[in-house]
This record gives sequence, C-alpha cells and structure tokens, in this order.
Amino acid sequence: MAEPILKVASLTKCFGGLTAVDDVSFQVAQGEIVGLIGPNGAGKTTLFNVISGYYAPTKGSVVFQGADIGGKPPYHLAGVGIGRTFQVVKPFAGLTVLENVVIASFLRHPKRADAERQAWQVLETTGLADRAHVSAAGLTLAGRKRLEISKALALEPSFLLLDEVVAGLNPTEADRTVELIMKLKEQGLTILIVEHIMRVIMNISDRLVVLNFGRKIAEGTPAEVCGDPQVIQAYLGEAAA
Amino acid sequence: MELLPQALTDGILLGGIYITIAIAFSLTYGVMHVIDFAVGEWIMFGAFTGFYLNKWTGLDPFLFLPVIFVLYFGIGYAIQPVIHRVLSGTKGNPFLMGLVFTFGLAIMFRGLALTVFGFYSNSIPSMFSEGSFNLDQLGITVTIPAVRLVGLCYALAITAILHYLLKKTNFGLGVRALAQHKDAAGLMGVNSKRTGSYVYGIYVGISAMTGVLLGCILSIGAQMGNEYTIFAFFVVVLAGMGYLAGVPWAALLLGMVQSIFMIYFNPSHTLLAVFVILYVILLISPRGLFGKGV
Amino acid sequence: MKTTTGRGPAFLAFLAVALLVLPLVMHDTFVLRVLTEGIMWVGLAIAFDVIAGYTGYLNFGHGAFFGIGAYTIAVLMMQANLPFALALPAGGLAAGIVAFIAGVPTLRLKGAYFAIATWALSRAIQQLALNLDFTGGPDGMRLEAFLNPQFFYYLMLITVGLTFAILWYLLERAPFGLKLKAIREDEEGAKALGLNPTKLKMQAFILSALPTGILGGIYAYWITFIDPSSTLGDLVSDQAVVMVVFGGMGTLFGPALGAVLIFAFKTIFWAYLSDFQLLYLIILGALIAISVIFIPNGLWGTLVRRKADRPRPERAPAAVVAPEEGN
Repeated sequence: MAEPILKVASLTKCFGGLTAVDDVSFQVAQGEIVGLIGPNGAGKTTLFNVISGYYAPTKGSVVFQGADIGGKPPYHLAGVGIGRTFQVVKPFAGLTVLENVVIASFLRHPKRADAERQAWQVLETTGLADRAHVSAAGLTLAGRKRLEISKALALEPSFLLLDEVVAGLNPTEADRTVELIMKLKEQGLTILIVEHIMRVIMNISDRLVVLNFGRKIAEGTPAEVCGDPQVIQAYLGEAAA
Repeated sequence: MELLPQALTDGILLGGIYITIAIAFSLTYGVMHVIDFAVGEWIMFGAFTGFYLNKWTGLDPFLFLPVIFVLYFGIGYAIQPVIHRVLSGTKGNPFLMGLVFTFGLAIMFRGLALTVFGFYSNSIPSMFSEGSFNLDQLGITVTIPAVRLVGLCYALAITAILHYLLKKTNFGLGVRALAQHKDAAGLMGVNSKRTGSYVYGIYVGISAMTGVLLGCILSIGAQMGNEYTIFAFFVVVLAGMGYLAGVPWAALLLGMVQSIFMIYFNPSHTLLAVFVILYVILLISPRGLFGKGV
Repeated sequence: MKTTTGRGPAFLAFLAVALLVLPLVMHDTFVLRVLTEGIMWVGLAIAFDVIAGYTGYLNFGHGAFFGIGAYTIAVLMMQANLPFALALPAGGLAAGIVAFIAGVPTLRLKGAYFAIATWALSRAIQQLALNLDFTGGPDGMRLEAFLNPQFFYYLMLITVGLTFAILWYLLERAPFGLKLKAIREDEEGAKALGLNPTKLKMQAFILSALPTGILGGIYAYWITFIDPSSTLGDLVSDQAVVMVVFGGMGTLFGPALGAVLIFAFKTIFWAYLSDFQLLYLIILGALIAISVIFIPNGLWGTLVRRKADRPRPERAPAAVVAPEEGN
C-alpha cells in the first residue's frame, strides 16, 4: 500500500488542564475523502488546528508526505500543500471576492498577472466568477463558504481540510457544494472533512473517523461506523446503544 | 544605600495608588475591549477638578473625593454609548477605530486642558500635606508623608470596594461574564451596553479620583496625562492584559521604579526606564510577568 | 485604485507639471515655503498609512521617525561634519533601524501592544532628546544655514513624488499591498493562505519609517533649527493620524487629500487665529473622533464608495475559457 499522505500518531493537545485531543491516531491515504465526525466539543476543530499549524501538538506527531509538520506555522504548511477552510467563515471583508482569492494565488504565482489569471480559474470552478468584483462582505453565507473553499483551492493544495463547509446551507446549495467536493476528489485532491450534516458526510466519505471527548472511538467505512455501538452511544446516549 | 528603604516605602505608597487606576483600566479593556488612550487625561481632569474645588470651597480634597467620583462617573457613563457605537461598527476594524477614537479624545482633552489651565504646574493642598510619620525599626529610618499614607489608604479602599463589587454582587458577575464571553453573557441577560456604561463610568470616576490623590501627593499640570497614560499601559501590559490579579505586583513595581529614579537618579529619566522595562517584558514575556495576559 | 476613466492620470500629470514649474513662475518665497511644507505633510501622511491603513497597525508615535531623521542629520552634519548628501540617507536609515528595533517585540503580538509600545516609544525618544547633551537638550540644535527655498522645494517635491510612486507600485500594483490588507482584515486566516504576518508587518513598518526619516532630515536642514518639542513632540504624530483618518485609511489618495486639507486648515488657522493655537489641538482631536464616528472610511473612502455603488460591467479575461456552470 502506498505511503499515506497524512499520518496522525498518538496526537494529544492539551490546553492547561483541558485535554482537547487525546491520543488520536489515524491515517489518510492519497485521494481519499475521510470524514471526521463526533458530537460537539469532541475536538475536531482542535485537531484541524493542529494539523494546519495553528497549534503545536502537546504529544504525538503529524506526518505529512513523510515529513513531520508538528509545530510548523500555518504559512509553511500552505506552501507544503495543506489548504483549509475555517468553521467560522471570515472573508477579507474589505476586499472583493477576486482579491480574496488572488491573495491565496500569490503563494504559487508570485506575479500579480499570473495570480489573477489563476484566481479567475478557481472562481470559475467554484462558481463565484460572476461575483468576482463584489465586496466579500456582501456575499451570502453560501457565497462566503464558497469563497472559503476558493481561497483554499487557490493554494493548489494536495490535501484539503474542510471544516463544516455545508453547515448552514439550504439543500440546493449543499448539493452543489457536495458536487464541488466530488469534482475535487476526481482531480486527485485528498480531503479530510468535518461535517455535522450526516447525509452529506455519510455519502461522500470513503472512511470515517469518530471522535468523542478528544478520543478516537471508531474508524471505518460509513456502514461500519454507523453500526458501532460506541458511536451510537456517543450521539444518542446510553439507551439507544 | 541608606536611602533604599525609603525608596521602597515610597514605591509602595505610590504603587498602591497605581493599583487602583490599573485595575479600573484593565477591567475596561476586558469588558469593552478598548484601550483607552485618554486614561491619563481622565486622571488629569480629576486632578484639576479637585484643585479648583479646593480653591473655591477651601474644603480638603480628601473630603470631596466621592463628589469627584460621582461627577466623572456621570461623564464616563454618558460618553460610553459613543464608544460602544464605534466598537460595534461593521465597517473596517472596530477595535482599531476604537483605539483611534480614544486617541482623538485624548488629544482633544489635552488641548482643552492646556487652553483652560495653561502650562503651569500646581499641587493640591490638603490637611495632610504637612504631616509625616517616622518609622524607626531595626535601625532603619523611614519617613512616611501623611498625605501619601492617606492617599494609599483611600486607593486601597477603592480597590477593595471594586473587588467586592466584582466578586460578590450580581452586577460584578455580569461584568466578569461579559469580559469572558460577550455573546454568551448577552444570551444570559447581561445587557452589554448598560453594563459597559457602568464599567466605563466606574473607570472614569476612579481615574478622576486617583488624579486628585496624585495631585495632592505629586503635582498637577495640563500635560500630566501623557505620563500617566504610559504608566497605566505599563502596569497593564506587565500584569498581563485583562489579568487583574497581576496588577498589584506590576503597580508596585512601577511605584518602585519611579521612587528609585526620584531618589537616586534624574526623575525625568523615569519615562525612559519605564519604556525600557516595558520593551524588555514584551521581548521575553509578552503575556505579562505571570504569562496570563490576553 | 483602479481608475476606470483616463481623467485620473491626466489630472495627476497636470498636477505634477504644475508643481514642477511653479517656482520658475512664482517668486513669492512665502508661498513656496508653504507649499514645501504642504508637500512634506503629504509624504508623512502616506508613509504613515502604510502601517496604519494598509496593515491595520496603528503607530501613534509616527512622529518619532520624523524627529529621528531630523536629529540624525543635525548630529551628523554639525558634529561629524558630514555633508548633507550623506547625512540625509543616514537619517532615513536611522529611522528604519529604530522601526526594526521597536517592531521585533511588538509586531508578533496583537495590534493593541503595538499601539501602546510605539506611542510610549515616541514619548521616550522625546525624553531622550531632552536629556542628552549631544542633542542639545531642550534648546535643540542649530544647523548650518543654507537658505535656498527653491532647492528645498524641489527636494521635498522629488522626495515625496518618489515616495508616492514607490508606494503606489508596492501597495496598489505589486502583491505586497494586497497581502498587507489581508493581514489587516484577518491576520489568523491570512496565515493559512501562506502569508507570514510578522515578516510582512515588519516590512510595512520599516517602509513607513524610511521616507519619514528622510523627510525629517530635509526638514531639519531646511528650517536649520530643531528642538524636541517641534520635531519630537506630539504634534507631528497627532497630525499624521488626523490626516490619515480624516482623509481615508488604506489608500494613498486618502491621506494625501487629508494632508492637503488639514495642512491648509492649519496654515489659515495659525495665520489668523494664532492666539488660539491650543484650540487647534482641540479641533484636531475632535476631528479624529468625529471622523471615526461619521466617516470611518475617511473623505476619500466615502467618495470612492459612492462611485463604486454605481453598477459596473463584469468581465473575465479572454484567456479563461469557462464551461458554463449551472447557476
């Protein structure tokens, strides 16, 4: 089997007395979509923050494409090929949609003209090209989530961390986002996705990793995970298990 | 070397007063998330109000401290909605705009003070101004001017009241909740606008009162605001921004630095020393001496 | 600032020519001096905006760089006998070095620390100048008199013109400006896009300091007398803040406009109301406060917004062949 693109080994992250991520280990293979699920407060976003360089691991390691990236700053990781979206979308409000993406394009295309060209292409892919000159502050939530994805895509990543890109969207918008994600997978992107909308994450994920209280409690295909009593207990409580 | 105990004593006496300002200032930052560049100006206005009240009524300034508090509480309470509006703005960066706004206020106040009060230095006389105690223990003699001691007592009393207010009342609970998590506190029924007004009013009132104390102990002048603003910043950054428990230590340190410079070195170098210490702290431990700043 | 019509550049060209030709036509040295100072303020304001408006980091002690430049020139020329041509770049360099030293501890922290520390630094530097012997203490320093209004006018004009052009390129054409704005809008998010905020902030800060130091140096030689209150006092910093906030942060034309208007106001004010100089300070402060409340984007920003609200045709570059997305 080929070397996994991401290897998380015994990863622990503590904040003072609080252990947000507790001895979590899993791997993601090239080209997979792995879903990260778990009740609120399970540590999913913290895990994302460690993988994307916003937090340094307290213990354990994160190995990306064979290199240990624990503790490296986010801007280094962007260069290495990790892109991410944020759960609370914060576009660069004072700038236009195009400018938002161009800033990300600068990573691979230092010249303004090249960056703009690539940004347009990304906007075409994500369907925001018609709103390119609109101020980012004027976008709807759906637009902003698309913009988040656009910015991450402009980095030309090999690995994408998607944090609740579907939450809050109406079913039509959600479906279009799912289409986009599947298209990205076809293009060879590896994706680690956090999502609460079960029908979405069950359908698109090749495998799932389930967290609860910072620990991994299950891992496997969606079918396997659904039947796991621990998972059911975590979501629905004792009685349902 | 024989002067060291005196320097330390002076430092404690002065530092105790700085505690009061710094706690109010830090609290305001914690609740309203605004760094008030006008803090020194509030102190200055309080000092001048005390000066003129004393001049016109002949009453000892320590007696009308509560009056000063009420007056400036009112002013602060009235101004806060404007600050709140600036900080709630959707355009640009509200925090930045808040900084600019208080900076503008500071300039305006300084100009006002210079216009009305001129460039002269003065000091507020008080019944305590002449008296002093001498402590003779263990072969060390230390002179404690009465006015500084009374000033310290007053400042500690204010701090104690503030502490009680914050820890033991519902209002204080709301304030602390607001400082920790504005939205959650709002959902629990804490009115952020009104609580913010109270906090800002209390802070301005306390600053003004402390100005009177400092005016009795040291001096007053229309330009004194600058110095005290830097002092307030110093204490708050050293303590850790928003970390109230660190304030007493940082305030005492400031008092020490000031006293040591007054006794051993050139007092006008105090500002330089304060800045150097601030700079070094920011280099090694930006979250304050205790590492608990925000 | 994309100008959609040809009128903008044409106006600028006309202005440039007019300014260049002026001393040949106008022989009133008073007017020349006023213009020289006005041009200087334009330079100060746009330099300040690099760190304040574009990057979103407020340096309320910007005037310190001006004073550092002035004093460096004075000391180098009067005590080391350096010629002006060598002393001037040294003045700019000194300001840049101080920016670097001040920036190291503060730029990796949040904006609040930066505002506090830089403001305190400017107060401390003034104290330094007041207390050191070789800076002349409160009496200041005198430079060798070189009275040539035309020389200083052109020097100021060329310096500010060059500064404007360089900043225009760096901030509006090159990626640098957009990256700074990204940091201003969302510093944490910008990191995920490959931007190193501390490095960029430092570059912006030094970039704001260099021209300011040079302008201070020119000022020192021009006025031939400097002292802590005129070059290291509050007024330079305060006026820079007003000009930028009132004019419009985050652009180059905003601060330029603000500088022209505020300077014009100041000149008229001090000419006719010199008894009320302190009133000027009150007005400055009030202007800042009012601008923040009512025109947070400044005059220029508000004007531009009005233009932008009018519908513009959307266009994509011809090179992109776009498959139709079902919208």
